[in-house]
Amino acid sequence: MKNEKYKILLVDDDETLCSLLSEFLQEEGFEVETLHSGNAATERLLQSDEFDTVVLDIMMPGMSGLDVLRSVRAKRQVPILMLTGRGDDIDRIVGLEMGADDYLGKPCNPRELSARIKAIIRRTENSLGNGAAGKTIVHALLHGIELDTGTRTAVVNNTTLPLTSAEFNALSLLMERAGQTITKQDMTQEVLNRPLEAYDRAMDVHISRIRQKLSSQGINDVIKSIRGVGYQMLTEQQPTQSDD
Amino acid sequence: MAKFSTLLASTYHKIGFKRLFWRVFIWFWLSSLLVMFATSFVIISKYSSEDYTKRYSNDVLTQAERIVWRYEQTLIPHANRSIKLKNWINKKENRRGHLMSMLIMDDTNQRIYHYRFNKVKPEDRLEYSVLGPSGRSYLVFSKKPQAPRIYTQLMYRFQSLQFVFIFFASALVSALLSWSITRPLNYLGSFSRHYANKQEVAPLPRALLTRGDEVADLAQDIEFMINKTHAAATAQQQLLHDVSHELRAPLARLQVSAALIEQKSPDSRHVKQIHNDCLRIDQLIQQILDYSKLEQGNPAQEPCSINALCEQVIKNMAVTYPNIPVTFKADNKAQLNGYPEALLQAFDNIIGNACKYSSDGQSVDISVHNRENSIVVSVRDHGPGVDESEMAKLLQPFYRAGNKMHTNGFGLGLSIALKAINKHQGELRMSTPDGGGLLVEIILPQDTLA
Repeated sequence: MKNEKYKILLVDDDETLCSLLSEFLQEEGFEVETLHSGNAATERLLQSDEFDTVVLDIMMPGMSGLDVLRSVRAKRQVPILMLTGRGDDIDRIVGLEMGADDYLGKPCNPRELSARIKAIIRRTENSLGNGAAGKTIVHALLHGIELDTGTRTAVVNNTTLPLTSAEFNALSLLMERAGQTITKQDMTQEVLNRPLEAYDRAMDVHISRIRQKLSSQGINDVIKSIRGVGYQMLTEQQPTQSDD
Repeated sequence: MAKFSTLLASTYHKIGFKRLFWRVFIWFWLSSLLVMFATSFVIISKYSSEDYTKRYSNDVLTQAERIVWRYEQTLIPHANRSIKLKNWINKKENRRGHLMSMLIMDDTNQRIYHYRFNKVKPEDRLEYSVLGPSGRSYLVFSKKPQAPRIYTQLMYRFQSLQFVFIFFASALVSALLSWSITRPLNYLGSFSRHYANKQEVAPLPRALLTRGDEVADLAQDIEFMINKTHAAATAQQQLLHDVSHELRAPLARLQVSAALIEQKSPDSRHVKQIHNDCLRIDQLIQQILDYSKLEQGNPAQEPCSINALCEQVIKNMAVTYPNIPVTFKADNKAQLNGYPEALLQAFDNIIGNACKYSSDGQSVDISVHNRENSIVVSVRDHGPGVDESEMAKLLQPFYRAGNKMHTNGFGLGLSIALKAINKHQGELRMSTPDGGGLLVEIILPQDTLA
């Protein structure tokens, strides 16, 4: 973790909640800025790169969290954590598909929120190569995918894949252990830095996004779903097959 | 066999003796009988009226006078005088059956003519006197005019073509009449059932609403009632939805406030209590939302794979209850059209309960199999089981086994499951299997839902 404070943008239309949460997160060692509308948040994020993580509430009057996500993701790679009404599965999945890094049901225990934010930051940290304790930089080449964990890029046909940090982590994990099956539990822990929950589809959505992005470059069926267990990246010797 | 008996029952329901057709038919018949009765009665009373008696006497006298004239003008040998006279009269009257029963005697008490008069009792006789052309007077006896017996009148009508005609006509008219009444009623019935099952308001056809008769009034009332009900249900949904969302905002703030206090004094018991209760309120809100969401009409049914749904639930149970081994027997043909989310909730709650009440290492056995026209999902645990007397109560919202306030659960899980299953016209059965524990069976009909 770096020495200066991490900066978080907190977007929620409930102003009281925002001020309470920012008080809490400041106590946890973050620097917090709050905004109360989708429009303001979009504007702020597009003009500035100073935030380490954005905490974005989905349910907002006017421009919703999903709208913000859509317009920001197109231009910025900043990690975004969505706050969803608990049980609004569709929103969570849609949020993830649009490039959110993780989600958290609301209301939640703020300690859980702080833990999630830290998990996301650690992931980004590792990605930047500083503070990746004992992690060597991996250059992998498999199925025509060139992976560099130093620069955190995946290149296919000389095109850099636009991967979110969660997607990049998942892809590098799969490539590192090509030929092995990685359980969903392990993947969630390794990639999202948190335990798998019941009805937790975050990992599935990240994988399906990676597949889409690979497929757009003509690489199909290299990530296999092992039913009831997890995922596996095929080695180049294994016959590719689509089973899902 | 069972199929046959249900077919029989439904057929009886359609054409049983309580149906409108039979009522119309029977009323029609009763009225026909009444008309026949009345007609016969009128005919009979005509026979006994004075007017009739007078005419009858006239007829008798006319005939008697003719006979007497003939008798006096032509000498007929005594032996077959009566027959001769009869033949003559017959010719004269020119049609049979117009001979009236009578007895004519001259002034010396000699019978000069009689026709069917031997059996007439003395009290049924009328007596006249007739003068012949010679001035001799004759005694004439005739029968009192008698009404034919009512039942002979009736029988006569019953055996006629009229009867057959009335029978067919009344059956036809009853059928048409009852059909014209029952068709819109049946339509209204299915319309109401459709609403009850789907909670979708469709407009009634204008033709039905503007018929101008009582059926149209009924249709308007039903439409009004359904709209009212729907408005009430929608308002209730909206209220639940709004209330739960409104509750969530202060709840979220409360949690953050508690966490702030926790930062100042990390080991506060009270803050832990607040956190636990916040979590509980949140779960309750979630369950109420789930419960009310099931009430809403679902737009469309989708094909559901029961196996896939069960597997999804089992996968998640492995995360939540890692120490409960779960066995699963699938059935490849277990497909139906329904609402996957609702089914997932039902399975999740039922399998979740089975895992919750099992101790570590006690297995939960789940099987899916096809029966005739239905899919049965059985969930069996080896936990403490449930008292027979409690099983039905468990399905009521907010009821918990032993009616104790558990620290986990609100007693909504099974109610939600039941609601989801009812949405598929299925049933939920609980029983105690051999060897203890609890067996829950979910029976889902496979044919497309009404």
